[in-house]
Amino acid sequence: MRKERWGHKWAGFAAAALLVGTLTACGGGKTSDSAGAAADPSKPVELDWLAYNSYAQPDPNSDIFKMVEKKFNAKFNVWYVDTQQWNDQVNVKFAAGEIPDVLQIREQIPKYVANGILADISEDDIRKYAPTYAKVIDEYDASLWNTVKYEGKIYALPSINLNGDYPQSLVWRKDWLDKVGITKIPETLEEFETALKKFRNEDPDGNGKKDTYGMSDHAIPFVLGAFGLPADNTNYVLKDGKIEFAAVQPEMKEALALLNKWYKEELIDPEFITGENTGGYWADSQAFYNNRIGLTGGGMFYHWRNKPIGEGDAGGGQYLNFKKAQPNGEIAFGVPPVGPNGQSGAPQWGVSSTPVGITPKAAEDPRKLQTILTMLEASFTDYDYYMTVFRGTEGVDWKKEGDTVVNIEDPNDDNASFKRGAQVFSMMENPEFGKKAFSGLYKFGDSVKTKGYPPVIAPAVDSLSQYSGNLGKLQKETYTKIIIGEQPVDSFDKFAKTFMDNGGSQVLKDVNEAYQKMVGE
Amino acid sequence: MKIKNRSWGDRIYVGFAYTVLVLLCASIIVPMLQVVTISMSPVEVINSYGFHLFPTKFDFSGYEQVFRKSIIWTAYGNTIIRTVLGTALTVMLTFMGAYPLSKKTLPHRPFWTALIVFTMFFSGGLIPSYMLIKNLGLMNSVWSLVLPGVVSVFLLLIVRNFISALPESLEESAKIDGAGEMYILWKIIMPLSMPILATVSLYSAVGHWNAWFDSMLYIQDEHKQVLQLILRRIVIDGTLDPAAGGGADLIDKPVNGESMKMATLVVSIVPIICVYPFLQKYFVKGTMLGSVKG
Repeated sequence: MRKERWGHKWAGFAAAALLVGTLTACGGGKTSDSAGAAADPSKPVELDWLAYNSYAQPDPNSDIFKMVEKKFNAKFNVWYVDTQQWNDQVNVKFAAGEIPDVLQIREQIPKYVANGILADISEDDIRKYAPTYAKVIDEYDASLWNTVKYEGKIYALPSINLNGDYPQSLVWRKDWLDKVGITKIPETLEEFETALKKFRNEDPDGNGKKDTYGMSDHAIPFVLGAFGLPADNTNYVLKDGKIEFAAVQPEMKEALALLNKWYKEELIDPEFITGENTGGYWADSQAFYNNRIGLTGGGMFYHWRNKPIGEGDAGGGQYLNFKKAQPNGEIAFGVPPVGPNGQSGAPQWGVSSTPVGITPKAAEDPRKLQTILTMLEASFTDYDYYMTVFRGTEGVDWKKEGDTVVNIEDPNDDNASFKRGAQVFSMMENPEFGKKAFSGLYKFGDSVKTKGYPPVIAPAVDSLSQYSGNLGKLQKETYTKIIIGEQPVDSFDKFAKTFMDNGGSQVLKDVNEAYQKMVGE
Repeated sequence: MKIKNRSWGDRIYVGFAYTVLVLLCASIIVPMLQVVTISMSPVEVINSYGFHLFPTKFDFSGYEQVFRKSIIWTAYGNTIIRTVLGTALTVMLTFMGAYPLSKKTLPHRPFWTALIVFTMFFSGGLIPSYMLIKNLGLMNSVWSLVLPGVVSVFLLLIVRNFISALPESLEESAKIDGAGEMYILWKIIMPLSMPILATVSLYSAVGHWNAWFDSMLYIQDEHKQVLQLILRRIVIDGTLDPAAGGGADLIDKPVNGESMKMATLVVSIVPIICVYPFLQKYFVKGTMLGSVKG
């Protein structure tokens, strides 16, 4: 293109430059126009919408769009941003000055606030227009409000991940336990040790070879949990109202000493270093499927669900994979082991999920926030509305089967219900209604629910993103080396010092300051 | 080859060369076999230990999942359109730009050359480029994928050097026979530049086939996106925890993610693998001819 530009074609460049200027000017003018129009209360509120998971591009002429637009007297301009490359795409748009009215916040809130992407929301407005929603958050975990605060102001509407309320599952080979004569599911560290020893030594798979182990890497956090905290990478723990790193706590030294002993007794599969998941979905454990170990963990109850709910259902995905590999195998849900001081718990995701915020552009017109809050309230009070905006139309996108909801799959397009507008206007999951829709599934989840350690809700700080890579690597390396005996257990103290000296102290200082700011005390 | 008549040294050398080449081939073929086998195997086979070089049981659910996305065919079409359009434009404009620059008679030639080379070292960056495309009104159209990189300075210079190496006497003789400037360009220079133009079109076509970032940035409409982007999404979707994001599906999640991933790989590379052997001979020849003469 550049090549045909001879002397006089320079005019082309100049014209392009002018054009850019003009268009920008027009863009600026348009914003004030729409703000003026929206002041008329009979006219629909116009909302640039990015508060959804965007698995597919929704069709603006679908029934769900029409229903929601009519119900709330609104007009939606739904943006489509590929959900997998969300931040890449959205950041470019923001930098170029394209900002929606309402959006999912997949970045750190302080960063967005500093860049003028988020406007603060008054708590009074939330409680006035969405009282039920606010009450549900209060009841589930009032500290969720802290996750969306910055310098004491609320910048987003927190959302709940219902599954994060359930700790990760610990799964035993039931048929192996039976074979080695253990009838009770192990509960304490001693009972765990006995069971794992028998798995190693008494040939539970009956092939006449000593080729079985007790556990591998997925179960390790559960053992650490018996000592008070499942340390992993740079995760935090709260001690006396102060944030600390779990990895360097003295309790972990005891835990590592025990794991080292188990490793020496060959209870831990030596291949735990590379992991028991050797491909595929993250919750899969090939070592467990292939009769190598008898104890695994990390997946959720719905991955390992071994009781059918509804017709034509045989269980969770990982359970099915296991059954395909070991048709005669049986599993049993376990409980996290109780440690010497009576502590126990499984790792847990926590209920905090992607929050939704509004931009300064939307804050100019109070009707926009009111509309958004009214919509949110509707999906917390009206079950049918919730099911429609969250799951789609009954009979088209889903149907009720027994005590659970089953999606109706479109044979030609697995994103069909998203295209018809499902999950676009729900903004977030409503845990109460979610449980109601999938009551069979969550009833099962409740029946195998154990104690868990939810993550500490702490603000993100720059120093953590700077150091976490190296610190996480240091933690993983040291823990592995101590377990396999390459380093003595006593080297833990040296590790703790190195960890703190190489950025750990800096992060703790920053995060504790930010934590106080976030809570606004 | 008559290895019989060769000395021991030669034999060892040939033996060594063949061993190395066989190992090299194996290092390429074994992973390929693994990918193809996994793409058509049921989950219990994939989860068992060991190599999977030949399918023992068949299960095409991975392919079913990939092709269930009706969008994939549209995306295939979009990729083909952008590749053909982009390559044609690139070849034409590069050639038309390189020809005048190769002429010593062009006024201020060093200045024009420097101006163009200058752009090789500086670019506007991501966000200014985005704003430029947006304000030119190219968003959401195939032109935003084709126009920004339509002339690569690097390729332009290669073509320019190739053309300058053509003997000037050819042109003079054509002029004596009464040929005009355009006639010389299309009937004399163009046919002689075929090898270098084949090279340019290959570079350009492979680049367009593999590109996805620009499509992600400039195209908002799902039906206009290119194949690589859609495939990328299928692969990542298949490994995500549907529930971690809060509320997707708990019951019908992809159980056999690995075979779907591999099926996606096969789908995206097969067309290029089919085309490559036919183009490769031009590729090798083109680059060599260009470099030898330039």
